[in-house]
Amino acid sequence: MSKKLTNLEEDLKKNQIEIMLYPSKCDGCESEGFAACVKACESHMSEKYGSKYAGARINIKKKGNKFFPLICHNCDEAPCVDACMPGARYKDLESGWTVTNYKKCVGCWMCVMSCPFGAIERIGKDHFASKCDGCSDEDTPKCVEACKKGALKRIGIKNYSYERRLSVAKKIYGPYIKSISKQY
Amino acid sequence: MKYVIVGNSYAGLSCADAIRRFDKSGEVVIISDENYRAYARPLISYYLEGKTTDETIWYKEDDYYEKNNFDLMLGKKVVSVDTNAKRVVLEDGSAVNYDKLFVGPGGTPFIPPTEGFNPDSPMMGTFTRFDDAKKMEKAAKMSKRKEAIVVGGGLIGLKASEGLRALGLHTTIVELLPRVLGLALDEISGNITSKKLNENGIDTATGETVTKINLDESGNPVSVLLKSGKELPADIVVVGVGVRPNVGFLEGSGVKIDRGIIVDKTMMTSVKDVYAGGDAVVIYDVINKRPNIIAIVPLACEEGRVAGTNMAGVYREYPGGMGLNSVEIYGLPIVTIGLTNPSNETQSVFIFQDDNIYRKLVFDGEVLVGAILLGDISGSGILSAIIRQGLKCLKYKDEFLNGNIYSFVIDNEFEIYNINEGYAIRGDFEDLPEFSRTNWR
Repeated sequence: MSKKLTNLEEDLKKNQIEIMLYPSKCDGCESEGFAACVKACESHMSEKYGSKYAGARINIKKKGNKFFPLICHNCDEAPCVDACMPGARYKDLESGWTVTNYKKCVGCWMCVMSCPFGAIERIGKDHFASKCDGCSDEDTPKCVEACKKGALKRIGIKNYSYERRLSVAKKIYGPYIKSISKQY
Repeated sequence: MKYVIVGNSYAGLSCADAIRRFDKSGEVVIISDENYRAYARPLISYYLEGKTTDETIWYKEDDYYEKNNFDLMLGKKVVSVDTNAKRVVLEDGSAVNYDKLFVGPGGTPFIPPTEGFNPDSPMMGTFTRFDDAKKMEKAAKMSKRKEAIVVGGGLIGLKASEGLRALGLHTTIVELLPRVLGLALDEISGNITSKKLNENGIDTATGETVTKINLDESGNPVSVLLKSGKELPADIVVVGVGVRPNVGFLEGSGVKIDRGIIVDKTMMTSVKDVYAGGDAVVIYDVINKRPNIIAIVPLACEEGRVAGTNMAGVYREYPGGMGLNSVEIYGLPIVTIGLTNPSNETQSVFIFQDDNIYRKLVFDGEVLVGAILLGDISGSGILSAIIRQGLKCLKYKDEFLNGNIYSFVIDNEFEIYNINEGYAIRGDFEDLPEFSRTNWR
């Protein structure tokens, strides 16, 4: 669907893979009764972290007929890392992903208060702040694997930035871009 | 280039990390007057509760200092800074030279003048350091009647009393203001919090002060006398009224001090090559629009990072911060952001309340300037981002009050993507300093 700017396999080797969101394509899997990405994440997380720190890290938020798959956007200077008092959340320099050492998490909710995307969830029962870790140890994140609607995609970093710019440009200059394409 | 960092906590380490990001070879010396490597200071109350242990209280991983090639000097108190000769003088008389200095001294506990307060007693003290927590842990074991008094109903006092309560002591909080967390919470939320505390065995005596501590012959407390004339039994007395910037050692160094250390936009003090950050500096408060001391962890990290970046020679400005805090009291999460008690008439307040949940929004015109969330805090980060950026969102007030904070994200997909623009890079983000997310912080 997008131009091949980089080779996905090469980017994967260099660990330059991102999850791209296309919120307009998400329909919350309403006809199926459950959201595929949420379910896939849930089972993967309980496999990875055990029963105590299980639970889906991806959330689908709904407003009217609009859906938004909410995952960690992996900020460069992440506010949740700054806010984390116990030092449980840190930047993994190898994968470049913001990850959490749940054994250190005490449930002060400083990160929940700081995440500008609202992507961190308070798990009151087990007392920890759960956040998507980008499945950096997997080839394909489980939510991407499960999504059949094309709302979540795994793409290389250059395509990611290209797609991002395009989606932002469409938001601002949407009609203008359309009129140009008509001319040609 | 030799960098010296005074203070081995959030601001200091964030500064050291920033230096290392841009200067791989420079010598970095970190000086601390405590005998521990960096630990999670606000977690000392969780240590009493047992939620944090001797293994997990450390802020960084074990090999952090070696891996980053930081020289760590523990147990060395800095007594003065000679900015002309560019060196810091330690208590034992030795000196450390620097090319660039960062001071992140934090705060020292403020002790209101109280008759009978004796910090040398094993049953009395303040509550800001790891040693204090260890002292209280011992004191709780020695206590016979299991009665504790905590002076101060702010965050330090609240967490200290929660810790002491977990050790089996009946605890009473004595607070001067008419409610606990008086500066951040309003009357309704303060009452909910007090009720929660009372249900769990912590009494609150608000609008009160301790006028006298009665001691036994060995100098340990027996009881405290309150302003109203009441006398309460006390085995342990903890003073957690607040902290004052720990700036005594900068006297005579030429660094300008007005309540806290005065810094410019690059976090440099009035003396060249001396930078500062953390709980001891005066920064621009974006909500109240005036210089202010805001002593919270996220801002300490941000200030340290900006200072460290500038020290390593990469120009960066700090736009200022705002006060926000989050705490959980016996399963009741509390988040306060920005201006929570409106000060003038142009500001309007909207409140939602049911059995377990309380939400309060403070608008200045169309701009959201403050919020209190009790019980349900999901999406509170979105509110902090909105408040910090000063976005107009009056039309969302009903949705926010009903807890649909995410609707703002969904409607403003573009805004959110704009915040996100340019930094979401997995992999080699190290060599791309210009890709930092400067547009919201």
